Amino acid sequence: MACSPSDRLMSSPGSLNSRYTDEQPALSGNGRYVAFISNRDSSRNLFLYDLQEQVFLPIPRLQNRPDAIAQSPSISYTGRYIVCIVNDRGKPDLVLYDRVTQHPQILNQWYQGWVRNPSISPDGRYVVFESSLHGQWDIEVLDRGSNVELDIPDGVPVNK
Amino acid sequence: MKRFIIFLAIVLTLTSILIVLGSYGSSARLLSFPSDSGGKSLNSPAAEMTPRVSGKYIVFSSDRLGRQDIYLFDMVSRSLVDLPGLNSFDAIASSPAVSENGQYIVFSSNRQGRSGIFLYDRETRQLRNLTKNLQAEVRNPTISADGSRIAFESSINGQWDILVYNRSGQPINVSIEPQ
Repeated sequence: MACSPSDRLMSSPGSLNSRYTDEQPALSGNGRYVAFISNRDSSRNLFLYDLQEQVFLPIPRLQNRPDAIAQSPSISYTGRYIVCIVNDRGKPDLVLYDRVTQHPQILNQWYQGWVRNPSISPDGRYVVFESSLHGQWDIEVLDRGSNVELDIPDGVPVNK
Repeated sequence: MKRFIIFLAIVLTLTSILIVLGSYGSSARLLSFPSDSGGKSLNSPAAEMTPRVSGKYIVFSSDRLGRQDIYLFDMVSRSLVDLPGLNSFDAIASSPAVSENGQYIVFSSNRQGRSGIFLYDRETRQLRNLTKNLQAEVRNPTISADGSRIAFESSINGQWDILVYNRSGQPINVSIEPQ
């Protein structure tokens, strides 16, 4: 039981790849973290891996939900924000997770179309995704607004 | 009557406080970029797929010209950016990603039955196959916003694994669990 997924609340050592499918990699803006989907541990889960320290980082309330499958992750500059698609109720949810508050938020609650393949900007302000609203795949751009806490590393100027 | 007015005042105050609080949390809005039937904007009458946003750029694939190509959209100038030499007639380009300064674009390309991860440099207009020496199917590339690292999937071990390269195509040492 020591290695059961629920014990993964501390950073745990491990390897990026396993004997099972490891796919859909997303890099943080600084190239240090990889978010990906893996079939290891007998379930399909989202993982966040630190390439520098070679450990997994905990993402409580997003990971290891027995009733849901996550896919298509994307992460911001230092890995603070994660967006992904979570399937748990028949319609895919576009979920934004903040690793500081450890709070997953559904972004497409009132959105009529089907959504897939989300991507978050490195600073965390914009989320783009594919939408089925117009009878084919189109691109929607969500601006989270000027009052969100941006994921910008110290000392790095934002060159717009 | 007096009690009723006080009650009404309290209700109105609470409602206005809730409205103000609500507007704080929900400043998120969908941006509207026009759909152009001539294929010169973000969306078109054809399909647009796998968008990735980085800095002011959105990179995506679309079949608007009758073949699946990569496009780069500038959110500030609200127009497409030219990518000379990136797309070709005999290849399907998919899953693009762009660095934050817009200089580097990675994507997967399928040509003559062979898949490859390509890096395009907008400054030099050079296109480079990063997986030429990899005897495997490859897909789903991504590049970090600072342009330093590229990750993608490879079938080399009989199931999908994740490889991480630096921009010059050298593998970063990532551990692979022994079989």
